[in-house]
Amino acid sequence: MPDEYRQAALKFIEMHANSEVMGALPEGTWIPRAPTLKRKLSLTAKVQDEVGHGQILYRVAEDLGKTREQMFDDLVNGRTKFHNVFHYPAETWGDVAYIGFLIDGAALVNQKALLDASYMPYVRAMRRICPEESLHLRHGEQLMLELVSGTAEQRDMFQDAVDRWWQPTMHFFGPPSKQKDMLIHWGIKTRTNESLRQEFFSTYVPKLWDLGVTVPDPRLAWNEEIGEWDWSEPDWDEFWRVVRGNGPMTSIRLAQRKTVWDTHAWVREVFAGMPEASAA
Amino acid sequence: MQVAIWEVLGKRTEEDQFAVVGGLKAPDAEMALLLARETHFRHKEGVAYAVRRRGEPEVHAGTWPAEVLGGVTDRSYRRQEGYVGVGATMKRVHRQLAAKGLVIDRPRPPAGRTRSAEAERADA
Repeated sequence: MPDEYRQAALKFIEMHANSEVMGALPEGTWIPRAPTLKRKLSLTAKVQDEVGHGQILYRVAEDLGKTREQMFDDLVNGRTKFHNVFHYPAETWGDVAYIGFLIDGAALVNQKALLDASYMPYVRAMRRICPEESLHLRHGEQLMLELVSGTAEQRDMFQDAVDRWWQPTMHFFGPPSKQKDMLIHWGIKTRTNESLRQEFFSTYVPKLWDLGVTVPDPRLAWNEEIGEWDWSEPDWDEFWRVVRGNGPMTSIRLAQRKTVWDTHAWVREVFAGMPEASAA
Repeated sequence: MQVAIWEVLGKRTEEDQFAVVGGLKAPDAEMALLLARETHFRHKEGVAYAVRRRGEPEVHAGTWPAEVLGGVTDRSYRRQEGYVGVGATMKRVHRQLAAKGLVIDRPRPPAGRTRSAEAERADA
């Protein structure tokens, strides 16, 4: 494997793993406040899945030459990145519905494209993860439908979530890909950011419109002539600020993860000290 | 810290051969099987599971039979079957909101099309 490929794949998969682990936190804060027992169970299961994805992906990344301990240490100390959307607060139950439907929807658009990636262990992990993300999407869709078909306050709650989360969702796909994107060159990624964002528009914007939910981008429209969506470029400065560790919840979320990492060091030590492990 | 690496193997149906579905780290086979069950088979993804320590031929088969793999209590919220009818609900809610004049009717791509082939080519 060329070293340049190994390094690019490692960085990409590590960031993906970090995002799964950090992505559990915004929704995790709503488990104690879920409106019904059914919702509490399903949200707990979803959060468990996301952390499980992190575990699976760290295992894949480890084989590319960096230990899980080092990756987690880098994450909790702010030396590596995680997806921009997980730097924001989940303020209401409407945000939980938004994350489940549209953040998971955006993630699924990205992740399905990775099923054709060039690194087979990563593809195998994605074959495991995509069906679960598809399940999460159903869960989010159900939450969203409950709100938009409910009272005026419930509809407003979901609309408010859309208004606050739309720009971070545009950021989620990243800036337009460079002419020579090394990840695409190596086949670690198979499609450009713009192609994925366009697929997201086509899949989800009509659904929102069908439910009377507006999108806070006055320019967003399907352009039949060129066969793609016109849209407004978001504030990319904010995107870079956030992913460099200056998001509204970055320090709180990293502190949460770091506290658990530090206080549970004894568990890792016990595992490593077991006779079988010592013999490995 | 050195903890052994294990490959996780699974069979989707009884007729299938065991295939590698992932990997994990665990200090021994017992813990590897427990983690494999929790990380790879809790959504009823298969009928049999096993682990194999990397670099070793011995396969350690999981002892949970197919009918209990993934749990026996009602955890349908962990599986697609727990969300049957969401698509129909979407259509029903759309009709209700349309009747109230709340839906937004704007041009959109033809069904099943996300972007023109020309735009995809230009972007690539």
